Amino acid sequence: MPKLIIDNREITVPEGTKVIEAAERLGIMIPRFCYHPALGSVGACRVCAVKCLEGPRKGIQMSCMIDAQDGMKVSTTDAEAVDFRKHVIEWLMLHHPHDCPVCDEGGHCLLQDLTVSGGQGVRRYQGPKRTHTDQHLGPLVAHEMNRCIQCYRCVRYYQEFTGYEDLGVMQIGSRVYYGRFRPGTLESPFSGNLIDICPTGVYTDKPSRYRGRRWDFERRPAVCLHCSLGCHVTVSARYREVVRQEARFSESVNGHFICDRGRYGFPYVNLPERPRSARVDGTETGWEAALKIAGERLESAAWKTGPQGIAVVGSARCGLETQGMLKRLADAKGWRGPVFDIDPAAANVRTAVSRLDSDLRVSLREIETADCIVVVSADPLNESPMLAPALRQARRNGARVAVIDPRPASLPFQFDHFPVAPDDLAAAMAILIRKCADKEPLSELGKTAVRSLRGVSDGADIPDADGLAALYDDLHDSRRPVIVCGTHTAPPEIPGMAADLALLLRIAGPRAGLFYVMPGPNSFGAALLSDPALSFGDLVSSIEEGETKALVVAESDLFGSGIDWDRLQNALNKLELLVTLDYIDSQTTRAARILIPTLTAYETPSLSINNEGRVQQSPAAFRGGDPIARTGGGEHPPRAFRRDIPGREMGAAWTALPTLGGRNPGSAPVNLTAWLGDAHPALTSLPESSDFPPDGVRLPLAENAGERFQTDRFSHGEKEEDALTLLVADSTFGTEELSSLSPILKELTPSPCIQIHPEDAAEFDLSTGDAVRIDTGAGTAVLPVQTTDRIARRVLVIPRHRDLDDRLPRERRTVLSKTAIRKATEDA
Amino acid sequence: MLSQQIQASKHPPELVVDVMMAVQEHYGYLSDEALEEAAAMVGMAPTKLDELATFYTFLYREPVGRYVIHLCDSVICWMDGYEPLRDHLCKKLGIQMGETTPDGLFTLLPVCCIGYCDRSPAMLINKKAYGPLTSEKIDEILETLRSEAAETTPS
Repeated sequence: MPKLIIDNREITVPEGTKVIEAAERLGIMIPRFCYHPALGSVGACRVCAVKCLEGPRKGIQMSCMIDAQDGMKVSTTDAEAVDFRKHVIEWLMLHHPHDCPVCDEGGHCLLQDLTVSGGQGVRRYQGPKRTHTDQHLGPLVAHEMNRCIQCYRCVRYYQEFTGYEDLGVMQIGSRVYYGRFRPGTLESPFSGNLIDICPTGVYTDKPSRYRGRRWDFERRPAVCLHCSLGCHVTVSARYREVVRQEARFSESVNGHFICDRGRYGFPYVNLPERPRSARVDGTETGWEAALKIAGERLESAAWKTGPQGIAVVGSARCGLETQGMLKRLADAKGWRGPVFDIDPAAANVRTAVSRLDSDLRVSLREIETADCIVVVSADPLNESPMLAPALRQARRNGARVAVIDPRPASLPFQFDHFPVAPDDLAAAMAILIRKCADKEPLSELGKTAVRSLRGVSDGADIPDADGLAALYDDLHDSRRPVIVCGTHTAPPEIPGMAADLALLLRIAGPRAGLFYVMPGPNSFGAALLSDPALSFGDLVSSIEEGETKALVVAESDLFGSGIDWDRLQNALNKLELLVTLDYIDSQTTRAARILIPTLTAYETPSLSINNEGRVQQSPAAFRGGDPIARTGGGEHPPRAFRRDIPGREMGAAWTALPTLGGRNPGSAPVNLTAWLGDAHPALTSLPESSDFPPDGVRLPLAENAGERFQTDRFSHGEKEEDALTLLVADSTFGTEELSSLSPILKELTPSPCIQIHPEDAAEFDLSTGDAVRIDTGAGTAVLPVQTTDRIARRVLVIPRHRDLDDRLPRERRTVLSKTAIRKATEDA
Repeated sequence: MLSQQIQASKHPPELVVDVMMAVQEHYGYLSDEALEEAAAMVGMAPTKLDELATFYTFLYREPVGRYVIHLCDSVICWMDGYEPLRDHLCKKLGIQMGETTPDGLFTLLPVCCIGYCDRSPAMLINKKAYGPLTSEKIDEILETLRSEAAETTPS
């Protein structure tokens, strides 16, 4: 560990630390443009110059390029270094336009800061400047090349870090140009990070243009709710609207970056159709009054039918407080529920949560250090986008990445794809498990487990069984393998098998890790707190049978469940009372007898548990209330003055729920952590909100050992030769519930299509571009065909799409007969 | 021939510059379409090829004349009278650096050192080096090329 002196202060840093990082640890920010901790050093901008007074090198050095070494004495304030940096800034500013007052970066621009602090406020150069033509880069990122200082951060991020190649660096010398081969939308779903990473205003946030300066915004940290990873973001709000989001550094979760779904998924908060006033039987009512009426009606319903006639439903997008309060309410009143598993994948999530162990689990950042990764039944880029760059970093460090999934997986790096049909996934996992069981002494697992493992079928009849067997050898020879397992479309036995494999690998030697991908931002909390004895399907049946007469639905769209829409609509019609609390306009809020609008996670502090069992806290970004754009009826603030905030009457769902139980709202518990512990023992040890660590708290998890090595998982049934499996898949944009409401992302949402293997397509006389008529069981759709040989045989994949919602099966996997699809001809 | 070379290569991207040169030889310059064609041949993204094509002086992303004059724009040539020669060429051809004569015969481009310093000031026309240059020599060379062009061009 080298010890060095920077500005007369001594510091010891790990081997390989750059001087610029060592200085940062002392709180000395050496100016930088090209250096970025996620991208490393290139020494392109020359602005981090320091003077080495003593040590192995002397004189002016670039602090990002030299490793800290013993005996170094570095000065950042030496007159020569200061003068050097001053000149560097002056030459970087040579061609830079004087457009700060109209530049969108103005106010949070690194170049602006350094120019002013470096004393270069007045320009000496009066000659002509080089200029560039800008390109259209799509709806998210605005391009203004004249401002460029050639630091190379954007291209290094775009090509090296995330692995996309449609943005590059052209030309040479002072003509260096960062752009695309042809103007057009950036292909990377992580392109928004260019905005954060550019030290000046070449890439700026297009959707928030002309909406305010950095200092106009209320800026608060938050946790992203658009998948289960729980990445960290910074929210900028103004005039009671969320205007912009930026990536926020997190050591354990997302590192420095976020995906575009997370960055631009926020507009559901601002939408004009968002419910903002309470409605009782179609009439607008005050918020408190509506709650009171709902409480009274629920009480009378309970009196008529008994408390079991009422059920409560939440979802994976409810905050932990709301989920906990639903459980508390149901327990206290004797109502049924809570049911959170409206998502068809919820049973998988429950298995995942019960199998995850404190020792086995890895965080997203830890995946970057893995050396062999098997992704099973997950599509990282489409389900949890930020998982893809994490896998890529592992790949860049030399890891092997294999994906076992029927869908045509695409990832921005080289990986092995085993396109295994859903029915064969268990057999594919069994190959890995069996190879492990054959090789290792498993006596410590107990007789039953050993017997069941030895009996695992060898799965030799699935395609590329040899490749999978070779994959096991790589797993076995690695030091830190990670099993990544999806839950969205996985057959029910897969999450358990993934845990079995990780456990067996541990016995075999390598320190295997386990990482589940879950469908909702708080799926983990939902799995912990839901009533395992009651599924949503059972609940709908009990409504149909007239046993359940009243339903309280908190922040959940029941039409996103696995239940057929007509059946669900009929069931809801049968209810005597439907109380819905939500902040988005959905079919469920429209069906509600009593609608209680609630605050989003941006307007109220909220807790959520990410996919690895990490409880994270988001403070309120702003106080909520009607946006000024709405109250003013246009762009201007309203002319009428009032002392309160209009639309501020509503509260968070969890503060409303106690009133529904007949208690007065004042009795909502103040000490959150204490009562969350009552809801589930795992939540007992949560810190007070003021002491919440920035990276959250990882829940202590103990694996449910009773679920290990279940024999029935390994026997796969007979395959129906003639059947096709339809997978309703996710896509990065347009399928996640909240972000699919974002008008910003609409342009990026792919149009509906159906994917099929070319050989299967040939059987139906189909090729790419043809239209196919498919009877999905829920309706008939005509879709353009995309053939791809990266898909499993006998599998059809349709990415979910708003326009198709009513015609796709509610289940993620459906078996169709061959007669269900045929070529759609012009005259048909 | 080219495709054979590519097939023989274990790592086709290493041939990218040769492929671009060959494609340019065929089309005269690297249009967007030509670049995409070359990209498909080596299995790389067009952007990656554009990065190289715009970096290298001898790869042309715009149409060029029949004779591309690369006048050496480097230290030794500066010392030996580059500037008056440049002005002479521009005047003689009636174009600025980077332009092509209206008859499509000559394109004038700078190049940073062709390694002909011992005979500077120097220039390169269609892979042939000339130097040391004087205004008279330049006139002579241009005249020869003009008559060569007239001979080989069917009227």
